[in-house]
Amino acid sequence: MDAIRIPAPQELDGLDDEHFRQVVRAFLHENYPEELRNPPKRLHWSENRPWYMKLAEKGWLCPGWPKEYGGLGLSPAKQIILTEEYERYGVARTNDHGIVMLGPLVIKYGTEAQKRFFLPKILTGEHIWCQGYSEPNAGSDLAALRTEAVLDGDHYVVNGQKIWTTLAMDANWIFLLVRTDKQAKKQEGISFLLVDMKTPGITVRPIINLEMHDEFCETFFDNVRVPKENLVGQLNKGWDMAKALLGFERIFLGSPRQSGYALSRLKLLAERMGCWEDAEFQDRYARLRLEFEDLKALFGVYVEKLKRGESLGPDVSMLKVIQTELFQKITDCMLEIAGENAGLLEPMEGNRDLNIGGLFIQARPASIYGGSNEIQRNILSKNVLGLPG
Amino acid sequence: MSAAPMDDRAESIRMIRDSAAAVAPPGGELKRVRDLRFQDPGFDAGVFRQMGEMGWIGLRLPEALGGAGLGLGEACALAEELGAGLVPEPLIPAMLSAGLLAAAGGKGALPVLLAGEVVVLTAWQEHPDTLEVPGTPDASRRFLPMAAGADFFLVPQQEGGRLALYELSAARSAVTVERTQDGGNLGMLTPNLREATKLADDIGPALAEALDEAALLTGAYLLGGMERAFAMTLDYLRTRQQFGRIIGTFQALQHRAADVKMQIALTRASIESAAAALDAGASGDARRAAVSRAKARAADAAMRVTRECIQLHGGIGYTDQYDVGLYLRKAMVLTNQYGSAALHRRRFMAVSPKVEE
Repeated sequence: MDAIRIPAPQELDGLDDEHFRQVVRAFLHENYPEELRNPPKRLHWSENRPWYMKLAEKGWLCPGWPKEYGGLGLSPAKQIILTEEYERYGVARTNDHGIVMLGPLVIKYGTEAQKRFFLPKILTGEHIWCQGYSEPNAGSDLAALRTEAVLDGDHYVVNGQKIWTTLAMDANWIFLLVRTDKQAKKQEGISFLLVDMKTPGITVRPIINLEMHDEFCETFFDNVRVPKENLVGQLNKGWDMAKALLGFERIFLGSPRQSGYALSRLKLLAERMGCWEDAEFQDRYARLRLEFEDLKALFGVYVEKLKRGESLGPDVSMLKVIQTELFQKITDCMLEIAGENAGLLEPMEGNRDLNIGGLFIQARPASIYGGSNEIQRNILSKNVLGLPG
Repeated sequence: MSAAPMDDRAESIRMIRDSAAAVAPPGGELKRVRDLRFQDPGFDAGVFRQMGEMGWIGLRLPEALGGAGLGLGEACALAEELGAGLVPEPLIPAMLSAGLLAAAGGKGALPVLLAGEVVVLTAWQEHPDTLEVPGTPDASRRFLPMAAGADFFLVPQQEGGRLALYELSAARSAVTVERTQDGGNLGMLTPNLREATKLADDIGPALAEALDEAALLTGAYLLGGMERAFAMTLDYLRTRQQFGRIIGTFQALQHRAADVKMQIALTRASIESAAAALDAGASGDARRAAVSRAKARAADAAMRVTRECIQLHGGIGYTDQYDVGLYLRKAMVLTNQYGSAALHRRRFMAVSPKVEE
């Protein structure tokens, strides 16, 4: 690649979009570890730490944070370009809950003391965060959460259980939605609390998922004492804050990347199985390919909105439903043409690009997490179409 | 036909279903199945022997050859029960081998196979997703279910335009195995026929028939899995609460449950009518059409049903500790075994009679 000068981090937001894209490509080419491209599973901290620390060292860790807090101060448009290039290069997710969720929340709602204490420790990798929202009986109905925090002198005492705490075993801090008022309407008695995972009374238990991977955990709280200054924002306003944080990033749940990746693997598999030229398969592939192209076009409509500085409405839910169901249809097709290879635990012929069953299983939870497709369809029918009920 | 034989038949099918409880607990306890996953050989040789003692391996063989002389109605009912319990022992491949050994005049390992003392697998397949048996000399034979626990292989080989049958000891064979999503394994055999015993000169027609039966039984096994996964899902829809309601009260989910039910009903009708047709003597194209219709349906429905069961469970359905995922993984392994849905649809169109109007 021709030498593209990589400007200092504080200059990145001033580049024009195309130049910025070239810079991101050069940056990845220069810095991203080759062996971590397109990992088949979500990486643990021990695996993605070198990349996280490289980003920290280069000042690229927090693209969306304002510069004054150590971020790149990128506009949504530039953040989308950055994400597109990361996806194209097959960059693995890091343990990014501090970067994506907690940091922006503290910047928006935290006290000066909280900002001074927590933000630098995310930037250095000293604090790795995980998210404690869902509970066994509060999944789609998150506001029904029951983990409670009761004030006792200078501490909140936390009792309860969280579930699907992604990579909790890697984290040393957790941000929690907790119930602080049992009398109020369910959304109005919830607060936002920051908890050091070393506090006595916390137990983390990994959950093995269908990928046979321990990406998620259950996290138990038994009389966990949390200093009351670790409350973020106002008491009982945690729900509104968490919701306000669901900003333009929702668009990424509908990013066509997964489907694009799967389509290219479907083609490889079809060639390997000798059915690529079949008219019947070509028709099927064409349907999937056209749905992918149309999804890309629809995705582009929302990207353009963001570039114009508009915010996203509830209709962005369409992207998530279309993308996840397309991803699933593509992996269904892989399974159907693979013959007996469909049942193999490992990639066919030891070729990571022919990871048929692995990709099929990975596609399953896409329609469950990040607001299940049932919830997305509720949003569309009620908040977009205005149907009664 | 008089009423009495029909009642006898129903009674016979009921008895075989009851007897399945010996290895597939009706309550759906899967601890044994979980413990065997991702270990070698992937099943319990003691349970396989028990299957022999109960007469299952020779279920379809005439009594003169040591079999039970029962029909496909009974065999499908048994496979269905085993599918509900995700029983990993390779009964269907063993029944296929028993059929071949019977066709070869009851030679070779047949008596010990029928007793469940040895596992005999038929190494017929040279390519993925096929029912064709070229019998190419020296060609590797692939996708042997539970090959890690095989004692003997039967190898069909093309000789003078016919398929001869050889028997080969697993101990003297080069076999490589790969693990499968359900915790079992598939093996590849490179046969060395110098070490083998020839059992028959022309096994072709018997093998074609045995493969059809294996395809139908695999469909029945998948049907049992669908039924159990759906039963678990209905229980979940009846008890799980969100938004202050039992989630089974949401109409969107009710409709999807109804769609699943219809797929299962079609699969059952297809499997049972195919079994009945074969038991009534359907042969040739009529047999192939009936089997292909049933396996095409079962293969597609099993994937659709188990996928939907995961989705209706939400996050919990994606955990390994919750049983519904085991049914998806089993379906991934069996959906294309003895022919994918697409293969069977093509075969159906090639052999089926004209549409009745």
